[in-house]
Amino acid sequence: MMKNEHVLHVEDLYLYFVTKKGIVQAVDGVSFSLPRNSATVILGESGCGKSSLARAILRLLPRNVHTYTGKIALDGQNVMALDEDTFRDQIRWVRISMVPQAAMNALNPVLRVGDQVAEPAMVHLGVTKEEGWEMARRMFRYVGVPEGFLNRYPFELSGGMRQRVAIAMALVTSPSLIILDEPTSALDVLTQANIMNTLKRIKQETGTSYILITHDIATSSDLAEYVAVMYAGQIVEMNNAANFFSQPLHPYSQKLMASVPRLHGKQTLEFIPGRPPSLLSPPSGCRFASRCPLRFDKCDQDPPTFHLNGSIVKCWLYEHEGTLTTPASETIQPEE
Amino acid sequence: MRLEEKRLGLDRPFVVRSFLFLRNALTLRLGFAERMVSDAGSRQVRLIILERLPTTLLLFGTADLLLFFLSVFVALVLSRQYGSFWDRVFVALSPTSAAPGWFYGIFLILIFASWLRILPFGDLVDVPPPESRVLYALSVLKHMILPTMAIILSAIFISVYSWRTFFLIYSSEDYVELARAKGLSGRTIERRYILRPTLPTIITSFALMVISLWTGAPIFETVFNWPGLGRTLFQAIGLFDIPVIVGSTVIFAYLLAITVFLLDILYALVDPRVRIGGGHKQ
Repeated sequence: MMKNEHVLHVEDLYLYFVTKKGIVQAVDGVSFSLPRNSATVILGESGCGKSSLARAILRLLPRNVHTYTGKIALDGQNVMALDEDTFRDQIRWVRISMVPQAAMNALNPVLRVGDQVAEPAMVHLGVTKEEGWEMARRMFRYVGVPEGFLNRYPFELSGGMRQRVAIAMALVTSPSLIILDEPTSALDVLTQANIMNTLKRIKQETGTSYILITHDIATSSDLAEYVAVMYAGQIVEMNNAANFFSQPLHPYSQKLMASVPRLHGKQTLEFIPGRPPSLLSPPSGCRFASRCPLRFDKCDQDPPTFHLNGSIVKCWLYEHEGTLTTPASETIQPEE
Repeated sequence: MRLEEKRLGLDRPFVVRSFLFLRNALTLRLGFAERMVSDAGSRQVRLIILERLPTTLLLFGTADLLLFFLSVFVALVLSRQYGSFWDRVFVALSPTSAAPGWFYGIFLILIFASWLRILPFGDLVDVPPPESRVLYALSVLKHMILPTMAIILSAIFISVYSWRTFFLIYSSEDYVELARAKGLSGRTIERRYILRPTLPTIITSFALMVISLWTGAPIFETVFNWPGLGRTLFQAIGLFDIPVIVGSTVIFAYLLAITVFLLDILYALVDPRVRIGGGHKQ
């Protein structure tokens, strides 16, 4: 019952890689739920495990995986239990699709973009080539790419156009969840705004959900309904966007928000001293402790996840206000 | 005497003569051989060469095509199992490709012809040649096995090694990752997202390899007693028959040019980015 309100429910997800230097704990015990038809932004510094989280959800694992455990439920169905072939056939691009980071390089240079957009429909929905191209044509209209571009090759398209093509490709099978991995970071602000508006319109019209992975707080605030903040492989705060952008809970989120330039106001931009801990051997207590201005004795122990008015925060400061309920029974209520 | 001098152009200055020779060579007016005679009895260099050219094309064309497809196949398989036993075997054996084809040819002849006596030492067909066409073709095929094996053996390790490296490089591209996210099957990804984008690179490397194989033809054909262009050149050098030497060299130059030209056309077919008129917007 409760679960089916969520399009995605992730519980205790771990993804470790083996490298020459040791084991990288890229995703370390992440749990969260996404309500249906919502847009969630995952914020964090470079190298905090955002993209690894996206890969873990889509099970796109490199060769050097050390640990990959946890529970991922999609529309209430535990997809971790599926074997590789079933997962490929029934989940990838049918129910979760993805707009990759740097769409510049995300299209095959020697195939026409029309073929590439139509391909998932042909493979997964069993449509003919003509029907696939017709669907691709519809998606092109939808995201604002001229139809004639279907016959072009990726190198003939500009960066913004390629990004739109990548979005059209993600939409063609009408999945219930689209993971956007820094979809606009390589584009100019006008194109960014344009694409963000397109994404908003698509969300309203198709009822799909987004996970938007970015470090660009300003751009993402426009689209976000929920915000999850990642730090050193863990989600340290998850909140609805209205609360988050006005009153972030976790000290890291507060610092993060203070680093965003504002048009009005005279405050100088802040930055967080120090660097994020190495994911090779993260500190045993709170991972942000060494950079945290509000640090106290308890921070030497690993903080549990506290639930507070529907928000989740992983910080000892909220020990008394928050409760320690299991994430599965908790839903975040949007505040309008 | 005067007339002969005039006919050969010896009354002109050296520079003019050089250009005349060059023109004659380029237009395939190759003149008459001094000592060699074609099988049909002609002294014309052009006829001597034309008689030998098809056998060379047959042998090297077959071997190069086999080499190409075999290498692509093995390289794809090995790129899938990077670091496996066979992968390491091919990497370890790649320096053996430094030796030319005839070097392996000698050993193959020793093993299969001299010792096991299952394949002929050399030549194009059995002596006497079989009467029926089918038997003739089969006999030629039998004689082609060893030289083809020698060519493939001399080049396959380095080509598999370098191509499997190309495949590995190209398979870490973002679009391959995305193809995997799209839920395409492993075969489709391999064919459309790894092999296709890598083909231009592979064709370039193959063109270079084919050229280096051409240059080995004179000794190679001599070792296998293969009545081709290469052996004709070798014989001509032995007999000091300058018109034939010059003629063969010119034909080899043409073969190289044609090879490169054909591969260039192929290149444009597999890579839309190099098509003329296709690159109107970068």
